[in-house]
Amino acid sequence: MKYLFIGLVLLFSFAVSAEQDRYVFANDEQAKRFGELTKELRCPKCQNQNIADSDAVVAKDLRDKVIVLVKEGKSKDEVIEYMIDRYGYFVHYEPPVTPATLILWVLPILIVIIGFGFIVIRQRKAAIKQNWNDQDEELLAKLIAQNQRQEQK
Amino acid sequence: MNRKFLALLPLLAFVLICVFLYQGLFANPRELQTGRIGQAMPSFNLPDLMQDDKRWQQTDLQGEVYLLNVWGTWCPTCLAELGYLTQLREQGVKIVGLYYVQSYDSDFDGPFDMDSLREEVSTMLSRAGDPYQFNILDLERTLALDLGVSGAPETFLVDSNGTILLHHTGDINPRVWRAKFAPIMQELTP
Repeated sequence: MKYLFIGLVLLFSFAVSAEQDRYVFANDEQAKRFGELTKELRCPKCQNQNIADSDAVVAKDLRDKVIVLVKEGKSKDEVIEYMIDRYGYFVHYEPPVTPATLILWVLPILIVIIGFGFIVIRQRKAAIKQNWNDQDEELLAKLIAQNQRQEQK
Repeated sequence: MNRKFLALLPLLAFVLICVFLYQGLFANPRELQTGRIGQAMPSFNLPDLMQDDKRWQQTDLQGEVYLLNVWGTWCPTCLAELGYLTQLREQGVKIVGLYYVQSYDSDFDGPFDMDSLREEVSTMLSRAGDPYQFNILDLERTLALDLGVSGAPETFLVDSNGTILLHHTGDINPRVWRAKFAPIMQELTP
């Protein structure tokens, strides 16, 4: 049982190292950039996967292109721009701020502002209602005194 | 009044969300891929699918309105649209094929078997109809990537200056033609 377990662990660790050997980059920085890009770029065919996860032909083509561009020394933004040029904004998981997508960025902030505004206004209204005067004070004192007397009995 | 309005607010929000989500049910998520619209046809230099020595460049295509139809024999939807595309050709629409090779990788697959591909293509086109003036072979899918193609079938409408006016994902049928292509074609050829 123990040997089976060790065997399994070894089996899977080989698979991982083999996977990483497929892409050889000049330095760690490029490898990291490649990793980040393939997670951020969306597969145009299978729309809820990034190009790192997808097995579609087009995702493989995009991965290969990202490798070429990264090896040429292109920055992350340059690669993303290259892809957006061809596949539209759709290909990047982070939507840009345009009139059409403005609502995505503004709405959450707006909701928070409206929420806090609502609380502030309510509290102000509540504060105005509390016009505590001498009469109320007397009444309160009387009630407390009554209550204490009842307790003493 | 104010209180009543506040009580209605959750209901109002619910209705708004319902309208938004209901619209989403009928939206086509594949309509969004519009990277190259309004831009010039990217430059390329690719071989002909059927002739060994013939090569095509983007300048060879200029001067006429044409459809660039991305297809492959491996793709059932492409087979389905061949009949209607052939009808369009008979009506005088110029259709150029961009042959999209599904999964060929020069690093792994060795030399490409051209003869069997040509045989497959001729069999399919003679059976289902041949809408193409000629076919460009995009073995490594470089032009496909430059055009923002995600699969097949996809069709581009290009005007005589070489500007891409339309990028349609999916098959072309009479309904799609009437709704998307015909209005633009009418403007281009009065």
